[in-house]
Amino acid sequence: MNPDDTRFREVLRAARPSPSLPPRFHDNVWRRIEDTEAHTKSGSWLDALTLLVFRPRFAYATVAALVLAGVLLGTYQGTQTARQNEQTRYVALVAPNPLR
Amino acid sequence: MNRSLVTLLGVLALSAAIFAGSYFASQRACLMTRSTDDLSWLRDEFHLSDAEMARVRQLHEGYMPQCAKMCALLAAKKTEVQTALGNGTNITAEARNKLTELGELRAQCQAQMLQHFVAVSRAMPPEQGRHYLAEMEKITLGSHEEIEQSMSDHTGHEHGTN
Repeated sequence: MNPDDTRFREVLRAARPSPSLPPRFHDNVWRRIEDTEAHTKSGSWLDALTLLVFRPRFAYATVAALVLAGVLLGTYQGTQTARQNEQTRYVALVAPNPLR
Repeated sequence: MNRSLVTLLGVLALSAAIFAGSYFASQRACLMTRSTDDLSWLRDEFHLSDAEMARVRQLHEGYMPQCAKMCALLAAKKTEVQTALGNGTNITAEARNKLTELGELRAQCQAQMLQHFVAVSRAMPPEQGRHYLAEMEKITLGSHEEIEQSMSDHTGHEHGTN
C-alpha cells in the first residue's frame, strides 16, 4: 500500500467529520433487527408447509387419499340414497297414499 | 397477504374440489347403476334368493291389479263424498252414509294390503318375513297410529284439566 494513500485518507477523514448519532440509535437498530427476525420466524412455518405440499411424493399421496376418501364416501352415500329411493318406490306401488 | 398463505389457500381449495368431484361422481355413478326393478329393494334389504324373488314377484303381479281396482273405487267414493257434502254448512244424512262407505272401503283396502304383506312375508325365510311384515306395517299403518296417539293424548289432557 502506498504510504501517501494512508496520509491522504487521514486528511480526507479529518476534512469530513462524522455527525453525532441520534439518541437511542443503537437501541433502535437492535429493535429493528429483532422485529425483522420475528417476522421471518412467523412466516417460516408457512414457507415450510408450502415446500412440503409441493413435494411430488406428498402431493401425489394427498391427491390419492382425497380421491379415495371421496369415492368411498360417495359410494356409501349413493348406496344409501338408492336403497331409500327403491324402498319409497316399492311402498308407493303396494301401498299408495289413499290406502294408508 | 403472505405469498405462502395464498398458495396454501389455493392448495386447500384445490383439495376440496378434488374431494367433492370424486364424491359426487361416485355417488352419481352409484345411483345410475342401480336396478330399475320395482322389487329390487326387497332383494337387497331381505337378501332374497332368485327362487324367493320369483315367488314374491308372482304375488306382487297378482296383487297390483287388485290394488289399482281398490284405488279406483276409493277415488270414486271420494268424489261421491265431495258431491254429497256440496257447498252446504250442514252434514246431511247422505253425506254421513257416504263417509261411512268411504271408511269401510278404506278398511277393506287396508285389509287387502295387509293380506298381501302377510303373503309376501310367507314367501320369505321366517326371520326376513317377520322383518318385512314389521317394516311394512310400520310404514303403512304407522302414520295412523301417530295421529291416533296424538288425539288420545290430547283428549286425555282435556279430561285431566276438566
